[in-house]
Amino acid sequence: MSDRLRTDCEGVHRRDFLKIGSAGLLGLTLPELLRYEAKAKAEGSKIRAQAKSVILVWLAGGPATIDMWDNKPNAPEGIRGEFRSIPTNVPGIEWAEHLPKMAQVADKIAVVRSLHHTIPSHQPATVFMTTGNKPTAALQYPSLGSLAAKLLPVEKGVPPYVSFTDLRGGTAGGAGYLGTGYNPFFVEGAGNPRAKAGTMSLRVRGISLPAEMSLDALDKRDKLLRSFDEGFRHLDRSTDLVEGLDTFHQQALDILRSDKTKNAFDLSKEPAKLREAYGLDAFGQGALAARRLIEAGVRFTTISTGSWDTHQNNFKSLKERLLPQLDQTLSALIRDLSDRGMLDSTIVMCAGEFGRTPKINKNAGRDHWARSMACVVAGGGLKRGYVHGSTDASGMAPNSDPVTPDDLAATIFHQLGIEPTTELQTLTGRPIQLFREGRVIEKLIG
Amino acid sequence: MPSAVRLSAVLAAGWLWLGALTTALAEITLPSGEKLETIDFERHVMGLFSKTGCNNGSCHGSFQGKNGFRLSLFGYEPEKDFAAITRESLGRRLDRVHPEASLLLQKGAGLVRHEGGARFGRDSWQYQVFREWIRQGAVWTQGSGEVVELKLSVPEYVRCDQGQTLQLTVRAKFSDGSEEAVTAFCDYRVADDAIATVSPSGVVSALRPGDTGLAVLYRGQVRAVRILVPTPTPPGFVYPKVPEVNFVDREVFAKLRLLNMVPSELSSDTEFLRRVTIDTIGTLPTPEEIRAFVQDSRPDKRERKIDELLRHPAHAALWATKFSDITGNNTNALEQPQALQVRRSQAWHDWFKARIAANVPYDQIVHDVLCATSRDGMSPEQWIQVTNQIDDELSKGYSDSYPKKKTLDLFWRRQQNVPIEQWGEKVAAAFLGVRLECAQCHKHPTDRWTQADYRAFANLFAQVAVGQSPEARKVINEENAERKKKLDPKKNANQQNIPIVRELYLTANPKTLPHPETNKPLPPRALGGPVLPLRGDKDVREELFQWMRQPDNPFFARSFVNRVWAHYFGIGLVDPVDDFSQANPPSNARLLDALAKSFIDSGFDIRQLEKTILLSRTYQLSATPNDSNRFDRNNYSHAYVRPMMAEVVVDVLNAALGVEENFDSDAPAGRRMIDVGSSRLNNANLAYALRIFGRPPRTTACDCERTADPALPQTLFRMTDPYLLAKFRLANNRINTLAKSKKPLEEALEELFLATLSRLPNDHERQAFRDHAKSETNRVTLLTDTMWALINTREFILNH
Repeated sequence: MSDRLRTDCEGVHRRDFLKIGSAGLLGLTLPELLRYEAKAKAEGSKIRAQAKSVILVWLAGGPATIDMWDNKPNAPEGIRGEFRSIPTNVPGIEWAEHLPKMAQVADKIAVVRSLHHTIPSHQPATVFMTTGNKPTAALQYPSLGSLAAKLLPVEKGVPPYVSFTDLRGGTAGGAGYLGTGYNPFFVEGAGNPRAKAGTMSLRVRGISLPAEMSLDALDKRDKLLRSFDEGFRHLDRSTDLVEGLDTFHQQALDILRSDKTKNAFDLSKEPAKLREAYGLDAFGQGALAARRLIEAGVRFTTISTGSWDTHQNNFKSLKERLLPQLDQTLSALIRDLSDRGMLDSTIVMCAGEFGRTPKINKNAGRDHWARSMACVVAGGGLKRGYVHGSTDASGMAPNSDPVTPDDLAATIFHQLGIEPTTELQTLTGRPIQLFREGRVIEKLIG
Repeated sequence: MPSAVRLSAVLAAGWLWLGALTTALAEITLPSGEKLETIDFERHVMGLFSKTGCNNGSCHGSFQGKNGFRLSLFGYEPEKDFAAITRESLGRRLDRVHPEASLLLQKGAGLVRHEGGARFGRDSWQYQVFREWIRQGAVWTQGSGEVVELKLSVPEYVRCDQGQTLQLTVRAKFSDGSEEAVTAFCDYRVADDAIATVSPSGVVSALRPGDTGLAVLYRGQVRAVRILVPTPTPPGFVYPKVPEVNFVDREVFAKLRLLNMVPSELSSDTEFLRRVTIDTIGTLPTPEEIRAFVQDSRPDKRERKIDELLRHPAHAALWATKFSDITGNNTNALEQPQALQVRRSQAWHDWFKARIAANVPYDQIVHDVLCATSRDGMSPEQWIQVTNQIDDELSKGYSDSYPKKKTLDLFWRRQQNVPIEQWGEKVAAAFLGVRLECAQCHKHPTDRWTQADYRAFANLFAQVAVGQSPEARKVINEENAERKKKLDPKKNANQQNIPIVRELYLTANPKTLPHPETNKPLPPRALGGPVLPLRGDKDVREELFQWMRQPDNPFFARSFVNRVWAHYFGIGLVDPVDDFSQANPPSNARLLDALAKSFIDSGFDIRQLEKTILLSRTYQLSATPNDSNRFDRNNYSHAYVRPMMAEVVVDVLNAALGVEENFDSDAPAGRRMIDVGSSRLNNANLAYALRIFGRPPRTTACDCERTADPALPQTLFRMTDPYLLAKFRLANNRINTLAKSKKPLEEALEELFLATLSRLPNDHERQAFRDHAKSETNRVTLLTDTMWALINTREFILNH
C-alpha cells in the first residue's frame, strides 16, 4: 500500500513513503525526502524567513469590522452605527471607542481594511479564510496551520500545529489533501471561552498522559507491551508499515516523557498581573497559553472566541461582551509578545470568516458581508502602525489596494520563508500551488 | 521525410526562410543511438518541450505562462506554441541568422538568467536539436506530429533480471503514414522505482525482484508495459507444486511463477479466522468463536465460516459504509434541516445495507443509484404519501421506509445545487473507476480523455433537476404550505426539523455544456462510448447504464471487482482503485479479466464474487513471507499486513474491551461504528478517533480520501486517549468481568489474548506476564496493564 503509482496532471509520481504523512507531525524524523521536496521548490527564491510562527485569533461568526477597525463616521445613519471613533497612539489612525487598549498598541500592528472575498456563508468562508484558497468541491485545501506543520522546521517533542478550537465543527482547520498526519492537535479543557479560568486545566489531546497514569506506570506497561509485540517483528520485516509503527511507538514514548508542552500550559508560572492582563476567562488564558506554546516551539496555533454572528443586537453585543474581551486579550497578547521580543518572529492575525453588512438591519443587527472586511495582522516583519487599503465611503467594498484571503495567506507564508508558489502534492499526486491566486502584499511588509 | 511533401505544407513565422531548407542537414546522434537529420517542430521540438519540462503546469505550461512566455500545457496546441516562440517578444526567442543567440537556447541552456535553471547542457543533444531546428529555418509543418500509434520494442510483459538493463525503443506512426524512432523524445514513468528505474533515453534497470508498471508517453499518446524482475534462484531450484482452489489461484500463481516467487504457506486456523472476520464483518472473532473454530474438524469449515460471515448483517453494514464512501454520503451536504441530515445519511447507508443483505445484483444497485428519481414512477399523489411517511419517520427518528424505496434519490438530492461537471466526475469515479478531473481544464496527460470527452460525459446529467417537476408542482406546493403551517413563526425555521419537499426529476430544458473549442452544442456521450443524444423526456441516464452493463464495457465490472479485491488484499489489481487509466495498467490483467468475466457471468452476484475470492488459497495464504517472496507487494504471494478502516478500529477496540459504543443522536441504538451512516458525529471523542484513523469526510468524488496510512496520533491515541482509557474502567467490561471471576490468572491471560490477538499466548509471552504479575498483585491492575499492552501491539491494530 505504500508503493502506489501516483500519477497526476504533471505525471509526477513518487513512492509514497509511509513516513511522509506523519513524520512532519512532531518533527522527530522528518525524512530528508520531505525536506528536499519543499526546499527544492523554495530554491530559486531568495526569500528569508522573517517569522517563525503564527497565532491566529479567530473571531468565529464573522465580526462587524465596520464597528471595529474601519468605522464610517460620515456615512448615513443606517450604516455608520452607534460607536464613536477614537484616536490611537498612531497619529491619523482611528478606530472604535470600545477598542481603547488596542488603540494603545496601534503602533505595533497593521490593520488591513481592504480585505474582501465573495462567500457570505460561514463554512466555506471559514475554509477560504483559513486556507488561503477558495474552496472547491473537487479538493480539500489544507489549513494554514497544516501547511505550517508540513513546511516549517519543527521542534523535537512539540506538536507543530495546536488548535484551541474546532473550526466549524471540524470542517475547517484540518489537513485537507495533506492527509490526517497534518491535522491540528487539539487543546482540551478550553471549554466555554467565557468560562472562569479557575476551572480550567488545559492540555493537548493525545500528547500527554492522563492524570491517572504516571510515567512509571507507563514504563512498566511498555515493558509488557514490548514482549507481546516481539513476535510480530518476524512477520513482515520488509514492510514500511510494521517498521513505521515501531518508529511511531518510540516517538510516542519520547513525547509522553517530554514535558515541554505540558509546561506551556502551566500558567501558574506566569505573574498574576500578566494573567490578569490577558483576561481571566478561557479566551484570555488560552491566548497566554498560546504564547507559551509558541515559546515551546509550536509553529501555528489557533485561538478563538465565538458569537460574532450578530444578526441581532449587534451594538449591544459588541459593546458589552465581544469588544471588551477582544480588546483586553488581543492587546495583552500583542504587548506581551512585543515586551519579550517575540513579536518580530511571531505573526498574529485576527480575523473572522467575513465582515458584516454596512447596512444595519431591522433587528439592530448586521448580516453576512464578504465584499469588505478588516483584519489585524502584526509582527513577523510586517509593517507596524500602518493601515493597508481602504473601503469606499459606506464600507461596501474596497476602495484602494484590495486584498483577498489568498493574498493574506501568501504574505504570511512569504514572511515564514515559504514561497507562495511552492507546490505540494495531493493524495492522488496532483501538484497544487500553495496559494495559486495569492500575491504577496509588498506594501504590508515592513 | 521527403522534403517535397513537407514544402507544400510549410508555414513559417513572419517571413519564409526558404533558403534554410536547402541548407545542408546536420546529423544529430540521439542518446538512444538513433540519428536525426531533419528537425520537425511537432515531432522533435515540441517533444522536447515536454521532455525537458518546459510546458509543465508549474512552468511555461501554466495558464498564466511564466515570465511572459506561455506554452500550451503538455504541448497539445502546436499553433499557439509556434506563435509564442516565433512572434512574441519581438522575435528575440529565435535568431535564425545566429541560432546560438536565440533566447530559447540561451535560456534553456541556462546561459542567461532563467528561473527554471539550465534544462539542458550546451553540448547536449537537446541543444543541438533546438539549434538545428532554428538553423534549418524554424518551420512548422502543421499536423506532422499527430501520432496514430506508439510501437514498443518489447511485449506487454518484459522480463529483466535483477542487476540487468534493457534498452527500450519506441517508434511512432504518424497520421501522414510515416514512421519514425522517437525513443529519445518519450517520457518514461515507472510506478515503483524500488523495483526498476528507467533513464530518459529508455534504458530500464532492474533493481529488486517484483514487478512494476512502466508508462511511455509521447505527444499525448500513452503506452504501458510491466517490467518483471524475477527473484534470483539458487542452482537446482525447482518451483514447487502449489495446490490451486480456483481460477484466482491459477492466475495469481501463474504470475508468481514468472517472478520465481513461491506463495507462502496456508494460514493457520486462527490467522485465517481473524483476518476473514475483520475483512467481512469489521470486528474480531470472540474467544468462544475462536475455540469452536479451532476445534471444528470438518474439512469444509473455512467455507462454512465464509458463508456464515457473508450472510452476517455486519457484512452488509461494512459494504454499506464502503458504498457510502464511493457514492459520497456526506452528511453536511444533504438537505437541511441539520438534525435531519444525520438521519438522511443513515437512510442512505441503510438503503445500501438492505441491498447487500439481500444480495441484490451489483448492476441493479448501480442502476437504482444512477437512474434514481424521487417518484419511482408513482403519481404525485401516491408519492407524496410515501414521502410524508418517510419524512414523518425522519422527524421522529430514523426511517425504516426509505431503504424500501426503489431508488436512492438522496444521492442526487443535496442541499446545494451540484454542477453537472461534478456529477460526471462522481459517476466516473464511483462506477467506472476513472478519474476525469484533469480533463476539466486540459486533455488528461496520462489518459485519453479530452476536455470534450469530459463535457460530453457531464452532459449526460443535464436532465437531472431537484425541485418541482411540472406534474408534481401543485402537490408539492400544497404539501409545503401544509408543513409551513406547523412552523412556530417566532423560531428559526431551520431549527424546527421540518423538511421541505423537493423532488428529483428530469427537466425538459436541460442545459448542456458546449464544446470547449468550437463552443457548439455538445451531445452527451459515454466515456469512450457512443453518443447518447437527449431526446424528449427519455432518461438518458438509462442509456448510460445500458452502456455500462454491457459485458464488453471496459470499466464497469472491472472497477467493482477491483474494489472488492483491494478490500480483501489491501492493494488493488489496479491501484489506486479509482485510477483506471492508460498509464496505470493492472498488475495482473488476466486475473482482473477473469474476475470481471466471472462476475458478469454470475449476473453481477457480489456475494459469489466475494466467496470466490475468500475461498481461494491466495486469500488464505499466511502473512509470513518466505525468502522468494519477501519483497513482493502487489502479486499476492502472501497476505499483506495492512491497516484497518477507521470505523473498524473503533469496533475492534470495543470488541477487545468488551464494551458497547453509545451513539446517542448520531445513530440508531445498538449499532456498531461500521453501521453508522452519518459522516458528521456529535460525539467529539468519537469524531476525533475517526479523524485520526482516516475516516473520509466524503466531500470529494474520490475514494482516495480514505487515508489509512498510520500516523503518530494513532499510536498516541491507543496509549493515552482519555475516552479510550475510560472504557478500561467500565464496570462490566472484559477486564473487570475477568477480574471478578475466579479464573486462574493463566486462563485470564489466554482470554485476553484471544479477545485481542485472536490467538493463545506463547511461552515467552506467558513468562512476561508472570514476571509482571510478581510486581503487580492487584488483579484488576494486572489485567488492565495486560489489556493496555495488547491493544498497543502492532499485531492488534493491523490486519494480517
